[in-house]
Amino acid sequence: MSDVLNGRIAVVTGANQPLGRGLTLALGRAGARVGLLGEAVGLESTVAEMESALVRTVGIEVDWSSQETVEDAFETVADALGPVDIVLHAAVPEIALEPMDLVDVDDARFEAIWERMLRTTIFLLQAAFPQMQGRGGRVLFVTPTVSMSGAARLTPYTAAVEAQRVLLKATARQWGPEGITLNSIAPAPEHLSIGMSSTEVSLAPPALGDAGDPEVDLGPIAVFLASDAGHFVTGATIGADGGIWMAP
Amino acid sequence: MSGRLAGRTAIVTGAGQGVGLGIAHAFAKEGANVVVAARRAETGEPAAQEIRERGGEATCIVTDVTSRTSMKACVAAAVKRYGALEIMVHNAFRGGTPHRIEDVGLDVWEENSGTAVWGTFYSAQLAFPHLRDAGANGRLILLTSPAGIEGSVNIPLYSAVKAAQRAMTKSLSKEWGPHGITVNAIAPVAETPALAGAFAQNPVLKERVEARASLRRIGDPERDIGGVAVFLASDDGGYVTGQTIVCDGGSFMGL
Repeated sequence: MSDVLNGRIAVVTGANQPLGRGLTLALGRAGARVGLLGEAVGLESTVAEMESALVRTVGIEVDWSSQETVEDAFETVADALGPVDIVLHAAVPEIALEPMDLVDVDDARFEAIWERMLRTTIFLLQAAFPQMQGRGGRVLFVTPTVSMSGAARLTPYTAAVEAQRVLLKATARQWGPEGITLNSIAPAPEHLSIGMSSTEVSLAPPALGDAGDPEVDLGPIAVFLASDAGHFVTGATIGADGGIWMAP
Repeated sequence: MSGRLAGRTAIVTGAGQGVGLGIAHAFAKEGANVVVAARRAETGEPAAQEIRERGGEATCIVTDVTSRTSMKACVAAAVKRYGALEIMVHNAFRGGTPHRIEDVGLDVWEENSGTAVWGTFYSAQLAFPHLRDAGANGRLILLTSPAGIEGSVNIPLYSAVKAAQRAMTKSLSKEWGPHGITVNAIAPVAETPALAGAFAQNPVLKERVEARASLRRIGDPERDIGGVAVFLASDDGGYVTGQTIVCDGGSFMGL
């Protein structure tokens, strides 16, 4: 068992979803203590799952539409566990993953995907900064490769993910002097409930056989980026898809 | 009128000035009927007038791209005036104010998101039935930025919304490809009022931007950017889709 994150405090979103769950378990097994931010539904059971995996976890309910609740959640984590070192943002609103022709998307749906995903991202960054300013930190976004490949009938979702991915690059340029690194982990589309396979974006199957397991295969990448060893990587998108997309 | 876009109708949002105006001129020169969709008649009307004086066909329709109602009216008026709509160019943008991400207000976000992304949503969705009718002549062209690929240190939210437009380009190219419609993006660096404003605030920036470009100059909206838009809009560009053409004199080469 690696302990490279011993004593580190991580704020995590989306731990109730497959990618976030696996990556959070990996951070926890590497020694990080976890503040798990999420909506009320499923929060308790996800915390219990983490605790049963011996990951010290605090669950905090947030309303993603309220910047105040996100800021308060960071304060709560800091009070309970200590100042936040790591942010892992993996949450995706379920509505974003429902395929629909753009011609049929109404304003409410576009708002619930595009505005919600980007505002949440801005809120997380703004809440993380005071925790990390002057002492460094690690921010990890989960940005599936569909934002780089594009995906029919998922225009609002791919727009939001790509915006997160490039917002992270610009932020990495701003926060570098603070010792804060920000990187994206890009998993294969198989991890999303969108019915899309890697073969739609590549003529060849994944070079390493399949799209991988979030904890076992993708987890070590998150741990590396969050650890001291990852300190000189920032603004990067790490393909974590078993060798499908391979860009650039 | 002859030309590579003869008989085709194009809406160009934000065509009252800058890159949009350059594209509008370039389209008109190739025979297109151009709808100058401008937020303000004070810029849109003179732009359309200038196109007509140069022998082209143009109409100004005052349009707010952040409003579904306004964009809907623009498309309807264009189709009523010219009978069809083959080409939608969404260029309009407002909100490039420099900021720090840790303390930027949501008002800056709303400007960036509204014009770039909601504007793309509305212009794409409302043009779609007409682009589908145009089949292999159907074109959606979005104006993005190198910042939307590499992330720009002074304007994170601009980088984000310009990146969103690139993903929309790719996703819509896949969604609409079966109809024959192509969807592409142009990422320009060009002499515009917006860039002039940024240079006025930060004179060193101009030197840096010029020095970074292989061609050591900043692009001309009509000649340098308009020509690329004409290519994408014409039959010549018919097999190019889902792409971002970086048109910046050789500055960003990360693709």
